[in-house]
Amino acid sequence: MENQLKNAIRKLLEEKTVAVAIGYGRVGVDGAVGAIFVTNPDDVERLVWNSQCRQNLAVHLTRPEVKALGKPAVVVKGCDARAVVTLCNEAQIARENVYVVGVVCEGIVQADAAGAPTDKLCDKCLSCVEHAAKNVDLLIGDPAKAQELDNQNAPNAKTVGNQAKLAKLRAMSQPERFAYWREQFSKCIRCHACRQNCPLCYCNRCVADKNRPTRIDSSASLKGNFAWNILRAFHLAGRCVGCGACSAACPAGIELDLLNLTLANAAEEQFGYVSGRELGQAPLIGSYALTDKEDFIR
Amino acid sequence: MSHVITLDQLKQTLGAKLADGARVVAPVLRGELAFFQEVSDLEQASFAPRVRFQNSIKEFFFPRHETLFSFVRQGSDVQLTDAPDFDVEQIVVGARPCDAASLPILDPLFAWDYQDRFFQQRRAKSTVVVFACKESDGHCFCSAMGGAPDNTAGADAIMFDLGDGSFEVRCVTDKGKALFTGKTTESDKVGKACDPPKVDFEIAPIANWVRNNFSSPAWEELSLRCVGCGACAFVCPTCHCFDIVDEGSYSKGKRVKNWDSCQTALFTLHASGHNPRATQGKRQRQRMLHKFVIYPDKFGQNLCTGCGACSRSCGVAFGVRPLLTALAQEVAKSEN
Repeated sequence: MENQLKNAIRKLLEEKTVAVAIGYGRVGVDGAVGAIFVTNPDDVERLVWNSQCRQNLAVHLTRPEVKALGKPAVVVKGCDARAVVTLCNEAQIARENVYVVGVVCEGIVQADAAGAPTDKLCDKCLSCVEHAAKNVDLLIGDPAKAQELDNQNAPNAKTVGNQAKLAKLRAMSQPERFAYWREQFSKCIRCHACRQNCPLCYCNRCVADKNRPTRIDSSASLKGNFAWNILRAFHLAGRCVGCGACSAACPAGIELDLLNLTLANAAEEQFGYVSGRELGQAPLIGSYALTDKEDFIR
Repeated sequence: MSHVITLDQLKQTLGAKLADGARVVAPVLRGELAFFQEVSDLEQASFAPRVRFQNSIKEFFFPRHETLFSFVRQGSDVQLTDAPDFDVEQIVVGARPCDAASLPILDPLFAWDYQDRFFQQRRAKSTVVVFACKESDGHCFCSAMGGAPDNTAGADAIMFDLGDGSFEVRCVTDKGKALFTGKTTESDKVGKACDPPKVDFEIAPIANWVRNNFSSPAWEELSLRCVGCGACAFVCPTCHCFDIVDEGSYSKGKRVKNWDSCQTALFTLHASGHNPRATQGKRQRQRMLHKFVIYPDKFGQNLCTGCGACSRSCGVAFGVRPLLTALAQEVAKSEN
């Protein structure tokens, strides 16, 4: 599969279909996987595809430094592909201006407390029913295998992994749940790794950075931390695709994906809306329908 | 003859300090992750050897969020109240040598043009006990930064885990002696740290390249994957940039000092909208310049201890060591 990926990207670069390919490479310590930006067809050998390709590369599509390189190809997993779709639906990128190379992903492994890869799948992967990336220009890997894994996960998709964690949290009393988030947010150092690693946190000026006047405290105090994390979750309501980039990047190990999953579940339960499922879908928060069950909208 | 203390005796010693009103900071496990934090009971502390902690002990000298003064406005009158002095004894125990080594590096900075009483008082009131490393990982590069797994820079005492529930204690300063005198027993057991981490680059030629290649296109190329968060700076024991903001309302509030990071776009954004460091390449260049050129020029020491916390905490497999490794290749190219 890795060779299939390399050959496809070589062709895209050689034929000048794209100017740069955003893929995974062994760029970190001990061969840790991170984004690489391949512009020369001879460099495709640096590309890798394995169970450590945790990062959502769609985050790079909106960065000015990357845009300056020209039309990109981007390697995406099923979850990441939904972020590309939502970026298109929110008019941040034009679909024809990006070449989406989807991969069949059999699951990404968690990192241990020291940051080294384990053999344990990420929570989001346990409930994944999109092992083959959708809405792509090219799919690398065996779609039959992806279908088989989707079928395996489908019956339990709403009850395992981070859904199980969330169910446990929701079963708590309100004071218990508050105590849980208080403990989680007390670890927050306001580095904003959650925001910067999120493909959908693309605001030119984040409300957390506004200081005339200050909307939310920039302090890593409990007050500031609650304000920041809850505000970010609300801003991702009906938008978060559940890729888990935020919690994977959090240096304090805060389970931010659970916060976002709560709102993603609400969007699906209340409006049948799943962010990034289809191209051309109107954004949930940015649109309304006269058939809405609430009267005030009419 | 060596001096040995058991884990129980260590906890008793620290517990007695706690009972005397001292503040004790130790590693605490929260889930699988270890954080340095103030403990109210020594049973909360975990002294098991480990390479990665989620935070640096710097936050007990230079807190992530600190009040400078508070204000109350009444009519045209403004009343200011200074933040209180730090006047409690503080014992920070269990840090890695590369973490404590940042303290003497930061001392001249906080006593330079402005005498920062917040940092200085905490330094004066604190005793720092480091644990010699039992293992290193691929992120570690203290050996390239003049450190070692048994380095005592910034430490008042160093402890060596003997693997049998006891530690050899070597006091480095009078503060260390004051903490441990009478608490240890004489022994013939001698502790040993792990071997220094292997490093395949040298700092001096890289620093020289950084100094002379301000306009190199390598900065932008190498920094493309950086997404510009502050994780590396906030977990770094030496990064010390801060922002000063007012919090509260027009009539009542406080002026606070919060950690800041040169990797964010906002850091250098001018009121006009112009940003002199508009791209991530320029921001990473600044980070390297500050750590390996500007700070040593001004204060004689590199602003890095080789602890590897930045790359361990990076969401995109970046950080100082990966960048130094890449820059070493630029050095090699420039020599050919």
